[in-house]
Amino acid sequence: MTRITVRGRIISVLILASAACAAPSFADDTPNSARIGLYSVFYHVSTEGLSGPYVPAGTSIDANDLETVYLAYVRSITPHLDLELTAGYPPLQKTVGRGPATLGSVPYNGQVIASARWLAPTLLAEYVFFSEDARFRPYLGVGVNYTNFYDRDSTAQGNAGSGGPTKLSLTSSVGVAGTVGLSYRLPGNWKAYASYSASQVKTRLDADTAGVERTAHINFGPQALVVAVGYSF
Amino acid sequence: MVKFLMLFGAALMTAAALSGCGESSATSAVATSTAHGTLAENPPFRIASLDAAALLSQLGATSSGAELLQIAGNPICGVDFYHLEFWTLGGAGETTESSGALMVPTGSTAACSGPRPIVVYAHGTNTNKALDIADPTDPTNTEGILIAAIFAAQGYIVVAPNYAGYDISTLGYHPFLNAKQQSGEMIDILTAARTALPNTLSSATSDNGKLFVTGYSEGGHVAMATQRALQESGAPVTAAAPLSGPYALEAFGDAIFFGDVDLGSTEFTPLLTTSYQKAYGNIYSTPGDVYSPTYVSGIETLLPSDIPIATIYANGLLPETALFDSTTPVVDISGNATESAELTALLSVPGSAAYPEPPTAQTPLFALGFGSPYLVNNSYRVTYAVDALSDPDGAVPTPSAGVPLAATEPTQGLRQAFYKNDLRNGGWTPSSPTLLCGGDEDPTVFFSVNTGTMAAFWSSLVQAGLITVLDVSAVPSGNFAAVQTGFQASQAAELAYYQTAAGGGLSLTQAEQMIVENYHTSVAPFCVAAARAFFNQL
Repeated sequence: MTRITVRGRIISVLILASAACAAPSFADDTPNSARIGLYSVFYHVSTEGLSGPYVPAGTSIDANDLETVYLAYVRSITPHLDLELTAGYPPLQKTVGRGPATLGSVPYNGQVIASARWLAPTLLAEYVFFSEDARFRPYLGVGVNYTNFYDRDSTAQGNAGSGGPTKLSLTSSVGVAGTVGLSYRLPGNWKAYASYSASQVKTRLDADTAGVERTAHINFGPQALVVAVGYSF
Repeated sequence: MVKFLMLFGAALMTAAALSGCGESSATSAVATSTAHGTLAENPPFRIASLDAAALLSQLGATSSGAELLQIAGNPICGVDFYHLEFWTLGGAGETTESSGALMVPTGSTAACSGPRPIVVYAHGTNTNKALDIADPTDPTNTEGILIAAIFAAQGYIVVAPNYAGYDISTLGYHPFLNAKQQSGEMIDILTAARTALPNTLSSATSDNGKLFVTGYSEGGHVAMATQRALQESGAPVTAAAPLSGPYALEAFGDAIFFGDVDLGSTEFTPLLTTSYQKAYGNIYSTPGDVYSPTYVSGIETLLPSDIPIATIYANGLLPETALFDSTTPVVDISGNATESAELTALLSVPGSAAYPEPPTAQTPLFALGFGSPYLVNNSYRVTYAVDALSDPDGAVPTPSAGVPLAATEPTQGLRQAFYKNDLRNGGWTPSSPTLLCGGDEDPTVFFSVNTGTMAAFWSSLVQAGLITVLDVSAVPSGNFAAVQTGFQASQAAELAYYQTAAGGGLSLTQAEQMIVENYHTSVAPFCVAAARAFFNQL
């Protein structure tokens, strides 16, 4: 399957979600909800390491955990089915070197070698347990995540390790996402939420230093904890 | 809430818009100009950055590295190794890309950073097409490691081409011993290096304006040609040290064709004929004019090669030593029986009954240059020899009295090419201090025919003291006595080593043979170290 085809499908899903937004309410009087909160992302990076000219065996990379703002729009389709479109405010993701303590005499292991921002919208279909007036409502969701990396920069330390100013590119990723969460009804139209989610984010990193190209296939394996409040309308 | 939604939407849209941004922009620029001397990638790629301790550790980890440390001394500076890619011209003036090394000393002391002198170094003949003298991670790159230890780790900025036809160069041949091309390429990489240096990760080190030129073997010839070219361009060098080079190329060529066949001649000959055929077009009509049917197939593109030279020999693509046919020619110059007889004798195998000279210590070595199958046809050898006999060089076969001038311009194609690239020619003499270092017992690039001829040629033309000749095999004396003593001790140690179990348990005769085979390579670190001592004075 080509990436264009995958993108096309994602766009179709997003259009369907938009159509759902515009559709007449049939779940309850306040079928829309907007949520904001804290998005705490931690990674379980796996990679076969960097490959290319002048790369010692065992040279690899890792991603620093981070926190950002959680933003979501949720549409209740039925009393037990929600559609959630979520995204973190694009954070500055720092990549660190793993492997040899030094490349030549240049410090490597543990050094911040690159940064990037990512936009990772996720569309989830969620089954919500209990009745609509329950104070606590657990939910389970499954969906699809799309991650796009931009503002990719090799740091001065990264350039020193790579051998000069380095151009980075990371392919976009489409993968499965899942979530488990709990809502707590607050006064008025407000609710509090806590959730745990995981998604599949795979990318290929290409680094070009004065025409010398290195590559890494990275599985970020991001997981996230969210604490948020939402307003229904 | 509407405002919130708008903010949320704006955040997503902004991020989405940003996601359309391209790849990160910070990288080196690829030059659009292909004018010679243009740096192709700016800034260049740094292969490795080693501080003084890491260099010491790397060199100390091998026995050859430890021996080099004894000659070079421990590193006082770190070294950043850059792979320079630049545009130059081939032997026929073709535009081509070439590559090489920029080694920058690093460290906090004034001896390692700030304004520092530049050494431009030309390497010796290497049959490995993939050679990258800039790569300190390649253990076969012994010459790159040598100049890093001797020059860069002691505070010299080093610039050294891989040569057109090697590494990334797309030129389909190497302009071997083409003085114009190779000196031009040296000046081109120097220009490119000066462009690159301020943009590197090692920009704390800069050019102090002092320029030294050196090189070994083929690179000795290149270094001297570069010294001449820089002088002619009005950019004289601070000092030069051509080392063990074939400078008096016509005299050297004549010596070989008259039977003094050097070790390595079967490698050098295909490199030479292809280089000169590309540049001048008159070496042969077809390669079969020069080469025997056994070896002629593919000879023009045989070297340099990705195939190791030992495999080339093993596969029968070149003879190891048999440059000429052991059945030597009977020369018949129409109407001149005397010259015919003289040439027939001169072209016989050294040491044979017909050979006119009495045997010397080197006679068995020269005789190795004859065999069957052989590389060069008798007919080609005769046309060369006829030209050489009728228009002799001043040094070979019989040294003329006084200054050993080259012949008047020859007519035979290969000899004419030697003449053009003989560094006695060109109407010049060195205008800056020049060290000529080599070893008198060198079986590969003969010392007396080349270094001796140049020194004698210049002796009456330049001011006293400007030229220093150093023979590392001579009785130690003078400013470089320590170099001579060190070389001779190293030779003695090597001779003893070959006779130990670890060294192969060779007999004395076999060990001596190994010493002869390795002599040309063994001299290199000592002459390069002598060059540094010479440059340090200035």
